[in-house]
Parts: sequence; structure tokens; C-alpha cells
Amino acid sequence: MTDEMPAHAKDRLKGLRSSAHATGVFTSDFSVNEFLLVRKAGFEPIGLCVGTCVYHVGIQYRSWSKNQELDVLSKAMYHARELAMSRMRAEATAMGADGIVGVKLTIKRLEWDEHLLEFIAIGTGVVHGEGHTGFRAHDGGPFTSDLSGQDFWSLLHSGYRPVEMVMGSCVYHVAHRGILAGLASVGQNVELENYTSAMYEAREIAIDRMQYEAEAAKAEGVVGVDIHEGSHGWQTHVIEFFAIGTAVLPLAEEIAPEKIPNPVMVLSVND
Amino acid sequence: MGIFDIFSGPDADTVARRAAHDERIADIEESLRNGGVPAAIKDRLEGARSGRRPWTATLRPAELLIARSHGLKPIAAISATCWLHYGWSWTNGHSEGWNMALSRMREEALAAGANAVLDVKMRTIPLDVENSMDFTLVGTAVHVEGLPPSREPIIATVPALEFVKLLEADVVPTGIAIGAYYEWMNDWLNNTNLTWMGNIESERLSQLWEHVRQRAHQNLRTNARAQGNGVLAHLNFSEMFEREGQNKQKQYLARHIVVATTVDAKRGTTIPHEVRMVVDMHAGRSPLVGTAQHHQSYASNESEGAI
Repeated sequence: MTDEMPAHAKDRLKGLRSSAHATGVFTSDFSVNEFLLVRKAGFEPIGLCVGTCVYHVGIQYRSWSKNQELDVLSKAMYHARELAMSRMRAEATAMGADGIVGVKLTIKRLEWDEHLLEFIAIGTGVVHGEGHTGFRAHDGGPFTSDLSGQDFWSLLHSGYRPVEMVMGSCVYHVAHRGILAGLASVGQNVELENYTSAMYEAREIAIDRMQYEAEAAKAEGVVGVDIHEGSHGWQTHVIEFFAIGTAVLPLAEEIAPEKIPNPVMVLSVND
Repeated sequence: MGIFDIFSGPDADTVARRAAHDERIADIEESLRNGGVPAAIKDRLEGARSGRRPWTATLRPAELLIARSHGLKPIAAISATCWLHYGWSWTNGHSEGWNMALSRMREEALAAGANAVLDVKMRTIPLDVENSMDFTLVGTAVHVEGLPPSREPIIATVPALEFVKLLEADVVPTGIAIGAYYEWMNDWLNNTNLTWMGNIESERLSQLWEHVRQRAHQNLRTNARAQGNGVLAHLNFSEMFEREGQNKQKQYLARHIVVATTVDAKRGTTIPHEVRMVVDMHAGRSPLVGTAQHHQSYASNESEGAI
């Protein structure tokens, strides 16, 4: 990387900024450290990108005593997230961003109607300082990533670049007791096999869907995978299993391998 | 399925989905009962190992960097669950439940062709089913370059950075040890009633606690000895209850659970590096700081509003 930014890149940045923000001001939700590291990685923030979606979740009948995926709810969670994410991405595209870092995806319940959920995706659109377009996703649009600015820098320096935030969801109804009734009096610890297998099935469906999305994005791997469970105000035995991560590809020519520093081992003296 | 479809019967799509569900569940139950790995999971792990499908890792990018520079190749995020009903003992159930989940995780690691599982987190789903609880482990199976797949993969509850730090210091994290103990105490002579005694130690309750804690740690040592020669990063959980038994006499239940990472450490070796002061640029959850968030199953892991 040269110290001087080329003139055409400067022009391009100026143009981008003025088209999205008449004042030439960039907006971001970066902390100071994040801002410095994103710039150190060779990127400039250009603006916050937001996508929202208020979604009415349909009704699904379920049998009280059965383990089953609630596909109406699974599809709703997928569709609503997809809408919020694609709106955010469209905003980034309009700004001319090469990618969005630090995407936060949240779900809120609207208090007056239990079937209404509000999905919000928010992140900071960035452009490469030298106008390198090799960082874009496989479809030529901006990459998306839930990694923070610090993680973004670290990822690039481990020889990978983010491609797409990938996720898998499975809303699952875990059977109520019934099989338990007979066990309650028995004085021993036993495994509840149908609960265990419910966890296995639901989790596997979620992970498999996430991995499928990564395949579709032509990624080599997925970092920062988080597998967790949430209940968005549903009845107690309905749980969403959610797998999320950032699909990555190895850097080809974007950063030369010799520029990647050897990591320094540190023992933190903070507690 | 729409609201009126229940009258017309399930469509072909629904029928196929139900059949797939029944088949999957049957396979999962059968595999777990025989100590194996369910077919769908085995297939996914095999795909990730061979490069046919993307690898997955719970590692953060900084951890990925250190893993790669030290020859650790991520294969797949793996998990294991045991849902246990404690009809006999809640306290001992914790030891049984975690140990069962550990052995299942080891099977998945084997199926992934891994040498070790890093970043293993202990989790519980906040689902209130009477007298039972799930014991869930989530981690990343890795292959150590230059080594054949291990018959006995290491289960390490530390993040990748700490795993490498330990290895550099010639310390191998080997697994999880659990010590659990509980005891009932009957207060026949009403010794715990200290209403008119002023400032005084409640000796009976002190003794109960002492005893329960010592026994729990004794169990921990026994459990750890099979896996290594030391434990790190303790997690302590204890509770005491009072209830009225027959003739209004008081009964007390004290329970104590200790969970720790076992290590195999050569005595007298120190880290080969100098210690340097640095400024940590991470905001919030720095991988440099502790492993506290790793054992979160004794506190709720549900955060309001998050995805």
C-alpha cells in the first residue's frame, strides 16, 4: 500500500460521500479502536446502512406431545431476516460500498400484537481506500459480516476476507411431558431420550442450513460460528435454534502473504 | 400449512417432511443409544473434513490467525447434548450429564477426524421441564497438521488463543473434570436456632458446608486424576436449602458443584517468551481476557433482544 492515495480513488470517495450524504460527512457506529483498525486495514467508512422489516408471523398448529419443527415459524424468521438484510445491503449498494462490517441483527417484539416482530439489521458500509473491487461478494455486491472492525482487521491479516453473513434457523416445538409421568416416581437419574434427540434434530437442521448458505456463497469456511437458542415471546416449549457466522474466502491477491505479520503472543496482565 | 388445510389433510410436502423427521429422530435415538454419531451429522462432518463442504469454526478471526500460524486447521463446529431427568439426585445428575455429553462430543470429534476440540463451551437451554436439565457442549473440532487423526481427541474448554499459549508452555489441556456432592442434615437438637445468642458462628451449618465442599473437591480430584495432573479455571456453584421435616425439626440440604479444565503439565517449565506490556485494541470481549464466559450453564445464557 502506498502512503499517498491515488487521485482517482480520492475522487471516487469524494463522489460516493457526496452522493449519499450531501454534507460529505460519513456516519458509522464504530468505536475509536474499531475506526482506527478498519482504516489500518485499508478501508474507509462511508455510512451507516440500515434495513428494517416489521413482520406478521403466521399461526401454526402443533401437537402438545410431539417434537416437531414449526416450519411456518422457521420460514417467517428466515423471510423477515432476509428482507431486513437485503434492504440494508441495497442501501450499501446505493452508497457504492464494497462491504458492510459490524452488522448487528436484532429482533424486537412489538408490544401491542404478539404476532408482530420487528427485525433490524444495521452496520457500517465501507469502501476500499484504493478502490480495489476484489473484496466484493460473489454476486458483485457488498460483502456482509457481523465481525467488528477489530475482527475485520484480524481476519484480513489471517489471510481471509469476509463474503457473507450466513445463518440457519429452525423453530422447534419440544414435546411436553407425558413420557415423564411414568418416570417421576422412579428414584433414579435417567436420560430423557426424546428431549435429547429433539435438541439434536433442531440443532442439526439449523447448522446444516447455515452451511448450505455458505456453500451457496461459494465460501471456503465459516468463522465466528455461534449456535444458540432463543425464544421470541413464544410459548415455553417453542425454541428457535439459530446458527450464525461469517462465510470467508482466502485472500488471493488482495493482500500479499508477506504483508501478513507474525502474531505476537501476549500474556495479558489485566484480569 | 394454512389455517384451513387442517380439514383437507396434509399435502405431499408435509407428508414428506414428516417422514424425513421420523427417520432422522429414529436414527438419532438409535445412534446415541449405541454411543455413535447420527448419520446426518456424520455426513456433515465428513463433508467439512474432506473439503467437499465449507469448514465451520466457532473461532473469532484473531483465534483463526493464531490457529493457522500454529498448524491447527478448523474442521467443524460440533456439539453434544444429554437431557437428564434427575429422579434420584440433582447434584449427581450434573456430574452424570456433563460426562455423557463429553463422551458424545468425543465421538463427534472422532467422526470429524480431529485431534482436539477447542473453545468448548458448557451451555444449558432455559427450558423448564420438571426435574430435568440439558447438558450441552459446543466447540470446534480441529486437525493438528502433521498428526494422524487421534483415537482419543482432547476436549479443551479454553479458547484457541489460550490453547496455543498452554501448548507453547508445554501444558496440554485434556478435558473437563466435575466434582459434585450434596448432603442432607437433620437438626435434631435445634442447634441452628440461634435467636438469643448474639454474635456467634452457626457451627452446624459451617460444618455442613465444610464437609460438602471438601467432598466435592475430593470428587473433582478423583475425576481429574484420570485425565491429567492438574486443573485450571474453576467454576463453583453451591446452594443451601432449609425445610421443615417431621415434628417441625429443620432439615438442610447443601450441594456443591465444581467444574474445571484439566491439564497435563510438566512441573517446572515456564513459558519460552518474554512478557510484554501491550495495549489491547479489542472492545469488550477480548480473547486475551479470561474464560469466564465459557462456562455459562450455571447462569442464564438468554440475552433479551439478541438474535
